[in-house]
Amino acid sequence: MKTLLNLSVATLILAGGVYLYADDHEEGEHHRSSTVAKPLNKQDQAAAALYKKECSSCHMAYQPSLLPKRSWDKTMKTLENHFGTDATLDPSDHKTIQNYLTSYASKNDRLVDMKGAVALRISETPYFVREHREVTKKMVTQPQVKSFANCNACHSKAENGSYREREISIPNYGRWED
Amino acid sequence: MKYLALALLFSTSLMAASPEVVQYMNELSKTAKAENSSFNGFDVARGKEIFTSTHIGKQGKPMACTSCHSTNLSSSGKNTLTGKMIDPLSPRANPQRLTSAKEVKKWLKRNFMDVYTREGTAQEKGDVLTYIMKN
Repeated sequence: MKTLLNLSVATLILAGGVYLYADDHEEGEHHRSSTVAKPLNKQDQAAAALYKKECSSCHMAYQPSLLPKRSWDKTMKTLENHFGTDATLDPSDHKTIQNYLTSYASKNDRLVDMKGAVALRISETPYFVREHREVTKKMVTQPQVKSFANCNACHSKAENGSYREREISIPNYGRWED
Repeated sequence: MKYLALALLFSTSLMAASPEVVQYMNELSKTAKAENSSFNGFDVARGKEIFTSTHIGKQGKPMACTSCHSTNLSSSGKNTLTGKMIDPLSPRANPQRLTSAKEVKKWLKRNFMDVYTREGTAQEKGDVLTYIMKN
C-alpha cells in the first residue's frame, strides 16, 4: 500500500514537473504548432495545477499562451458572468490563477486587427480565425464537437498544448489535410 | 492499523459527508435558525424541490440543477454549455463529493447564481446538501 502511494506521488511530481505549452505563434507563420517542454518552478507548478483543477471542471484548461495578458485580465475580472455562468473563485485562488495566466500569456499581441476590442474567446482572435478558416460550421456544431471551445474534440493533444496538424482528427470527417 | 482504516472507511460512508462538510452544515443550520425562528432542521423534500425545479437562470433561459447534473445523482451529468462530463453528485457513487467544505461552498454559490440568479439562503443550501447526501 505504501509502495503504491509512493509510486502515485512520484507520478504526480513527474507529471507536474514538465509543463507543455503551445508555441507562441508569430504572426503570419504557419505550421509551427510544436510543443516545447518548459520546466516550471515549484510555485508555478502549483499554480498551473490549481488553474487546471479549477478551470477544467467545466472546460479544457486552455494554455495561457493562447491569449495575451489583457484578455486574461478581462476574463478574470468578469468571472461572475463567465460566458453566461458564475465561475467565481475564492480570493486567494483567484489571485494565484490570474498571476499564472498573465505571466504565461502570449507575448504576441494576438489581437491586432480587432480595432481595440479585447477578445475573451480564443476563437475570436485573428490568428485562430485564420487557422480555422476552412473548417465548416457543420464540423464545429456537430454534437461531438459542440463549439470551437472544445479544442480537444479535434486536436488530440490539445490538453498537452500540442496543436500539430498531424494530430488533428475531426469527428465524422477524419484527418485534416491542408 | 488495518482495522482502524476499515473503521474509518465504514464511518465516513455512513456520514456521506466529511467532518468539515458536516461542520459547514452545522453552521448553515445555525444561520438558518437565526434567519427563521420556525426553522426545524434541513429537509430532503425541500432539497429535492430546489434541485429539480426549473427557473429562469442567469442566461434568461429555463434552467434547473438537473439540466447539468441529471435527475439521477448516481450517474454522470453533462455541462449543457460546454458538453463536458460531470462526475456523479451522490457521495455514494462518487466518494470525492462532500469531502471539502471549500468546494461545496464554491459550487453552491456558483450554481445557485446560475439557476436562481441569487446566492441561496442558509436553509436552502442545507436542504439541497441534505438531498444530495441522501441520494
